[in-house]
Amino acid sequence: MGAYVVRRLFWLPIILLVVSFATFAIARFGPGDPISVAAGQIRDDEIVAQIRADRGLDGNIFEQYQDWLFKAVRGDFGESFQQRGFTISEIIFPKMWVSAQLGMIALVIVFGLGIPFGLIAARANGTWIDPFVIGTLLFLQAIPVLVLIPPLLWLFAVQFDLLPVGGWDGLFDIWLIGGVIAIPIPDPHLYIPLVAFTLPGFAGIARLTRITALEVQQEDYIRTARAKGLPESSVALRHVLPNSLLPLVTVIAFALAGIVEGAFFVETLLGIPGIGRFTFQAVTSRDYDAILATTVIFAAIFVLMNLAADLVYGVIDPRIRVGVSRQ
Amino acid sequence: MGQNRILAILLGVLAALVLVVGGLSAVLLFSSDSDNTGPTGVSSGSNELQRTTGDDEPSSSSSGRLRLGGVDPVTLDPHLATDASSAEYIVEIYSGLVTISPDLEIQLDLAEAVDISADGTVYTFTMRENAFFHSGRPVTAVDVAYSINRATSRQLQSTVARAYLGDIVGVREHIAGVADDVSGIEVIDKRTIRFTLDAPKPFFLAKLTYPTAFVVDQQQIESNPRNWTRRPNGTGPYRLTEWRLGERIILESNARYYLDEPPLAEVLYTLSGGSALTRFENDELDVAGISVNDIERARDSTSSLNPLYSVWPQFTISYLAFTTDVPPFEDVNVRRALGFSIDRAKVAEVTFSNMLVPATGILTPGLPGYVDEDKTFPFDPDAGREALAASKYEVEDGRLIGPDGPVPIVITEAGGGAEARIDTQAFLEQWRTELGIEVEIRQTDFATFLSEQDAGELQMFNAGWIMDYPDPEDILDLKFHSTSQLNELGYANAQVDSLLERARVELDAELRMQLYRDAEELIIADAAWLPLYFSQSHVVVNEAVTGWFEPPMVIPRLRFVEIDR
Repeated sequence: MGAYVVRRLFWLPIILLVVSFATFAIARFGPGDPISVAAGQIRDDEIVAQIRADRGLDGNIFEQYQDWLFKAVRGDFGESFQQRGFTISEIIFPKMWVSAQLGMIALVIVFGLGIPFGLIAARANGTWIDPFVIGTLLFLQAIPVLVLIPPLLWLFAVQFDLLPVGGWDGLFDIWLIGGVIAIPIPDPHLYIPLVAFTLPGFAGIARLTRITALEVQQEDYIRTARAKGLPESSVALRHVLPNSLLPLVTVIAFALAGIVEGAFFVETLLGIPGIGRFTFQAVTSRDYDAILATTVIFAAIFVLMNLAADLVYGVIDPRIRVGVSRQ
Repeated sequence: MGQNRILAILLGVLAALVLVVGGLSAVLLFSSDSDNTGPTGVSSGSNELQRTTGDDEPSSSSSGRLRLGGVDPVTLDPHLATDASSAEYIVEIYSGLVTISPDLEIQLDLAEAVDISADGTVYTFTMRENAFFHSGRPVTAVDVAYSINRATSRQLQSTVARAYLGDIVGVREHIAGVADDVSGIEVIDKRTIRFTLDAPKPFFLAKLTYPTAFVVDQQQIESNPRNWTRRPNGTGPYRLTEWRLGERIILESNARYYLDEPPLAEVLYTLSGGSALTRFENDELDVAGISVNDIERARDSTSSLNPLYSVWPQFTISYLAFTTDVPPFEDVNVRRALGFSIDRAKVAEVTFSNMLVPATGILTPGLPGYVDEDKTFPFDPDAGREALAASKYEVEDGRLIGPDGPVPIVITEAGGGAEARIDTQAFLEQWRTELGIEVEIRQTDFATFLSEQDAGELQMFNAGWIMDYPDPEDILDLKFHSTSQLNELGYANAQVDSLLERARVELDAELRMQLYRDAEELIIADAAWLPLYFSQSHVVVNEAVTGWFEPPMVIPRLRFVEIDR
């Protein structure tokens, strides 16, 4: 298994190389560049040409890529054109952290609620509860966040004045009781984005859990378990549940990769300074270095999460042997 | 074994869930209690400012906190900034020799007197005695000279330095890197500085109000060349005390400000957050812009927004432009025909709910040289058809057929949506019905648009211009003089050129404006641009705020604002 991990990790730099070069080339193929966007309506062609030369934007694409690569491996992703005087790392890591915090909590809620609901629906298969739960969930999953957020804002922010309209102020506020006891409580800016993040995801996980649980129930070993007289609760907890969760591992891995990528719509509508919104802005203003940095980091996380999922599979399912070729 | 582990994981997840849901409901229950912690929902001491109060800090007499929405500035280096969102902060934090007052007059600022030589080429400024940097260091003529030299240095690569400061003798050489400093700047003594211009430039003071000429602190820049803009030491009425990227910017009043400390103690710009109007209604912001979706509500006299709503003209014009040296637009009659066939008043009403006003010329209301009469083509389809008939093109099956065959017409606009701008669509429809011409819409992203516009590759395009300083030179000379770098239209009219050149050096202000008005008239008759709309700013302002105004261009304004809360 150690060898397997090493082999997989060996591919990581190669994948990143391909991804980064493709991104690099695609971003530069279009006409226009970040300098013309940044220069404003009164431009100075000589200075623009000079900046282009200094930034290495007028050389051949392979040389430019080589320059970028040498800097990137040292952790220098360059400087943003949207935010002068800040390095890309200074800008994107805090934004990724904002997105990741929100995403992590959302993920916990999604799986925490989704799995039990899916199991309930599966166990109730054949009664009215199953279609009712699934129908409700399908409905929830079908609501786009663009439609979901405005009524939430109207209700909780404007009508009842309970929550702020958007923005970001960290995960926790500290409430002091009597000036002595400090209680961390979730910041009120979190609730609406969390609902927007979790509703569709939660429904998806519940449906996936239900389907796999139903499949597992048809398996021979479940019949065997019942045949040898195990009580129904033991069958459900010890046999159905763990086996239904297997496919979820893959989903969790992808979801974990997704949380650092942020969510463009939620972040834009609620004005959350996350990485999703930033990436979009980077693309529209041709902020080459920012586009590259985010793409490469996302790709790396994606590859690593995939690897993690494969390894976890091997640990939790004895039938799957990671890295062992069939003799 | 593996199954037990999974059960354990599942239980852990459930436990976490219980905690989160429990926390959520607790907060929902108690959140009504947290109202007194401030309307921004900041309920802890996390927003307490880390104030480094020096011993010699004068005591503050100002009060109140104004809450505005904002965006991260691209840069707070006044010499590099080119965009309005950066300038918004820069004009409050820094200042220069001259500024623009709320009624758009050019006023002395760091300077207390200016002497202009009879031939209009030598400007001698006397500086105020009581001007200080935020740090407490006095501002002298040496700081001004350093700042202009820095702004025009080859290393800094400011894309606007030549446009704003290029009239000073030696600036061009300095930008090119062939001179060590600007020869036309002379420090006479601590409080006196002299600028020599390459010719009389009646608009020189207007250009000097732009941030490129603002004063920066040499000591700070040299001790922290990379990051000094994160807490700049300016000379303006406000100083930056906090900037959290993407989250907030806090400006505090400068107790040492030479025109007395501003009455408003603190301005909080929230850089994140959703719809500004919703936040305004939720009492999170004191000022919010109104979009076309909410305009009816703001105008409705029974709405709670209505008493807080106001409209302010802006120095911004949108226009359709033609590249005048490519077919079919090398023929002025085709351009005129298109101009006569669009009903801008109708489009303003139907698609913009009259939030924009149809342009009456190229110079916007409030600009020197503006006259209140409509110089543009009226909506007159008959005149349009006549103009087209007089052209060398004929219409056949929706196409223009010229001497060398059919010439397709493509209008380009910047945009990323699946749909074209709604006004462009309306114009296309009007050209189709009134002239029988089919025009194709092409959308590109902004970077592509700019690059094609610069290269003069766009046959026809929909764009806008925001005035940088209140002088007609900033639009007429820059966009329409045949040799201007910003004239992407291939437009050349010798008569216009001559008028613009005379206006550049004319010292009699009234005569100068007349020259610009004449040039404007010729340009409109030539239909190089079809002026479309003048922009307006539509805002709602909290009733606790007095003195708020929306200037037509970015100028310092916070020191005129007070808040009673």
